[in-house]
Amino acid sequence: MAAAGTGSGFVFVRNVCGLFRDSSRLAVLARPQQLSWFHSSSSLSTKNWEKKNLKVFPPQLPEEARRPAEVHHCRRQIKYSKDKMWYLAKMIRGMSIDEAVAQLEFNDKKGAKIMKEVLLEAQEMAVKTHNVEYKSNLHVAESFSSKGKYLKRIRYHGRGMFGIMDKVYCHYFVKLVEGPPPRPEQKTGLDQAREYVQKLKDRTVIHSL
Amino acid sequence: MSPPAMPTKEKTTAPALAVNGLSLPPPQLHPKIQLEEEQENQEHPSGLLDSIMWMAAPKKRRTIEINRTRRRAESKLIKVKNNIEPCLECGHLKQKHVLCGFCYAKVSRETGLIRQQINAMEGGPLRTPTVETVVLYEGETPSTQDKDKRIVERPRKRPAWFSY
Repeated sequence: MAAAGTGSGFVFVRNVCGLFRDSSRLAVLARPQQLSWFHSSSSLSTKNWEKKNLKVFPPQLPEEARRPAEVHHCRRQIKYSKDKMWYLAKMIRGMSIDEAVAQLEFNDKKGAKIMKEVLLEAQEMAVKTHNVEYKSNLHVAESFSSKGKYLKRIRYHGRGMFGIMDKVYCHYFVKLVEGPPPRPEQKTGLDQAREYVQKLKDRTVIHSL
Repeated sequence: MSPPAMPTKEKTTAPALAVNGLSLPPPQLHPKIQLEEEQENQEHPSGLLDSIMWMAAPKKRRTIEINRTRRRAESKLIKVKNNIEPCLECGHLKQKHVLCGFCYAKVSRETGLIRQQINAMEGGPLRTPTVETVVLYEGETPSTQDKDKRIVERPRKRPAWFSY
């Protein structure tokens, strides 16, 4: 993700300065409430994942199916790449928490250690504050990474050229849900054959009598 | 339309080429000098920066869809390990072909303390006696086998995993 500029350094610096000047001008002129076409909420806070834990549902009726307990947890500004974190997040999607922690423990990547800490924290939160009875009865429903705020540094090239290097940071989000992990349904050959025959039977001629 | 009048004498100074419609100019007299001049004209400022003739460069930007299919291919995803099992001694997880990390740390901590004791006994480098060493814990007396051995005392109970 590191940007490498090979053009002439001075012109680039001028352009970059122009960009920063423009953005500061915009922020000074417009009040957040007036610019409703930019974003609907008046505040600029985007820490919404933490707020998901504060949502309170109305009490369930006796005939409703039991809503499984959920816990949302995240870690912000991890010094790691979001693309590399994605591979780990993809691996543990849909696993039970014990399986996920075991896989991450024996993975050699830097993000695996951090992700394991986040999962264990979330498991503890679930048992302590989110009314989960058994700490092993959790599975990873959602798990993904996103870009954090990058720091920019100068990378020196030959011949007086330079590029701006990004010091990458990422966020990691996980949602644990109570219950065994949902198994993808296995379709037998007979089911597939039956479906195929049904599709053939459902064919109809349009604009016919 | 009458066909254009063909010249009666088709005599060229240089040998005619068999292929019609060739884009290259026909070979001329004194070919070597003229070829060099043409090459110079075609290759613009001859320098490493602007030689457009021989540096490979991408023609088009790779779209995010193409990039994703390459990055998320099955071979690039992390494979799930199926050789993880619990250690029978301590219950922590271990890989089948690797020693349990917790048990190894526990043993290496104790060996570190034994080594510290030995260093204290020897007092300096290169003073290892030429006899065997035996480690004894609290309340243990040297047996007949340990007659000529150097004894290292550890002021604690013998750990369960350290057999005689």
